[in-house]
Amino acid sequence: MTTVAHRLQARRPAARPIEGQELALLGVLVVLWGVLGLATDTFLTGSNLQAILFNVAPIALIGIGMTAVIVTAGIDVSVGSAVAVVMVVVAKLIRDVGVPAPLAVLVAVALGVCLGAINGGLVAFGRIHPIIVTFATLNVFRFVALRIFDGRQVTGVPDTLGSLGGGADGRIWGLPTAWLLAVLLGAAMWWYMRSWPTGRHLYAVGGDVRAARLAGVRVRRRLVFAYVLTGALVGLAGCVLIGSGGLVSQNAGEGLELQVIAAVVIGGTSIMGGRGTVLGTMLGALLVGTVTSAVTLLGWPSELTPLFVGVFILVAVGADLVRARRRKAR
Amino acid sequence: MTAAESTTNARERARLAHLVEYLLTERAVLLAVLLVVVLVWFKVLQAGQYLVAPYDLGYLASALESLVPLCLLALAELLVIVSGRGGIDLSVGAIVSLAGMAFGFCVAGGWPVPLAMLVCLAAGTLLGAVNGVLTAYLRFPPLIATLATYYAYSSLAMVSNDRAPISTEPVQRLSALTRPIDVFGLYVPRHVFTILLPCLVLVWLVVNRSTYGRKLYAVGTNDVAATFAALSVARVRLAAYTGAGLLAGVVAVVTVAQFASARPDAGTVGNGMALPAITIAVLGGVAIQGGIGTVGGVAMAALLVTWLNAGLLLAFEGSEGSQYQLLALGVVLVGSALLNTISLRRYG
Repeated sequence: MTTVAHRLQARRPAARPIEGQELALLGVLVVLWGVLGLATDTFLTGSNLQAILFNVAPIALIGIGMTAVIVTAGIDVSVGSAVAVVMVVVAKLIRDVGVPAPLAVLVAVALGVCLGAINGGLVAFGRIHPIIVTFATLNVFRFVALRIFDGRQVTGVPDTLGSLGGGADGRIWGLPTAWLLAVLLGAAMWWYMRSWPTGRHLYAVGGDVRAARLAGVRVRRRLVFAYVLTGALVGLAGCVLIGSGGLVSQNAGEGLELQVIAAVVIGGTSIMGGRGTVLGTMLGALLVGTVTSAVTLLGWPSELTPLFVGVFILVAVGADLVRARRRKAR
Repeated sequence: MTAAESTTNARERARLAHLVEYLLTERAVLLAVLLVVVLVWFKVLQAGQYLVAPYDLGYLASALESLVPLCLLALAELLVIVSGRGGIDLSVGAIVSLAGMAFGFCVAGGWPVPLAMLVCLAAGTLLGAVNGVLTAYLRFPPLIATLATYYAYSSLAMVSNDRAPISTEPVQRLSALTRPIDVFGLYVPRHVFTILLPCLVLVWLVVNRSTYGRKLYAVGTNDVAATFAALSVARVRLAAYTGAGLLAGVVAVVTVAQFASARPDAGTVGNGMALPAITIAVLGGVAIQGGIGTVGGVAMAALLVTWLNAGLLLAFEGSEGSQYQLLALGVVLVGSALLNTISLRRYG
């Protein structure tokens, strides 16, 4: 009898559609939105919410891939530089060659996949620690981007990708298309990581590589997949950031990697691997976006935003640590 | 082939294998060889008139200016990474910014310079200790804890003076600290002797000749075994992060003096100071798993990167040189990490 009860209890967390950290995040978000709605006249307006959702989209898109990478106990700090490569190539193609939008997106994703494959290949086959690999490619990708920039920022980019941008063309039913895309892909990835065998293998690799290998998981293939997926999403995020066109500057994407990692970690994904969901990452990205917008609307200096992001990271990870200790004690 | 010939062949091959093993396991020696290669290579380029300015001793001496922050922060990463459990410190650049602002405020407020320096070092130590408490006692993963404090410190530095640098007259006078001095006809930046060398010796003594150093490596190699050997694992790690903060405080003094201005984004602009520091530590043979790494290796790596960068600046016109520095850093990092993996697998 006790064993049956024990088994049921052990199985329940896996069957829950939403976990403690995500619920808490949702609560924080609701409270924050309520307070900000009362404190300012402008927060709960359509245009502000549209702006928040649009700004969140690139972070959420890359965050989907980054969640997979971090779940395998890896990390990818090169995404900011990779975004710069994608942006400069696509912006020049659109402006100088007049590439149509679908082809531009295709090129961006293909380029992202190539960059991701370099990371994944070095991690899986070179057996180098992911943080070292991606620190190195962070530099190399930035070099490639700067070479293609050729000393000048790209100006006068036409709005070929406007349907993904932040302007009026980039909305469906009043919601930013880029954000809808992120939600759609996020939902697909959430389902994949939750229910598909190969998706579960990502957790197995992050939990214990040797055990996973002995259990027949194709560890290298899973690792390469995670980094390549991140690369593909970097391509999409690059398209979103070019969006309505205009100007692509040489410092494009600088610091983006830390924002994405912050969103993933705030969403409850364990940096040690083996635990975390895409849903949490989406909520984490939304929280970062909300804080950024709130600081501006409250008239505080925008440099305060990172302070709040830092505090949120500490609180989120601290809460997770406390729960992990409780799990162990039980 | 006679029997005698084959034995000499075998002996030679064994000697070669020994040499390869020596080069792969003694990182400082390998880097010294690489350094010679770099120097000769640029000398050849200069002889072929490919460089925009001569790559001579005077140029190399003045290039040492950028060695100081690079080397000190790489030593900070050495302490932290060797302490194990995924040890890393992303926040050193932000500490440089924030401690530098504290230094700037004190100097601009008319405090005597030595006292202001003490405040700056104390600020760095305190900020490092915060990292240490988070990782060692509250058991946050170091990558996350220092990512969070990176955000927090850099934000505080920016807000502290409303984004503006402090460059009033007393701060400008600090540049005397980094004025070059004449060494046998070469103009070497003063702080190479007054700050870098003493710090290098001090860190070497702590790591190699003190009980704390032995504890640090023990904790980094296997913290469970260290616990059973009655070491206070948390305290050793706290000290490592605090020491890293102290070194970042030293870099803050140097940076403020060098630019004659306390800039709120001194350590975080662009890719920041932390990423190059970690790169150099790894290049110097520090294993990211902890417990492995030497002061000599890190110092050689910093010197190699400094002189390589200085050469690249001459090899290309305009801003191209600084772009190729990024490529060189990335390639060298992957190369050295591959080397670490191979040598660990072959020679354990």
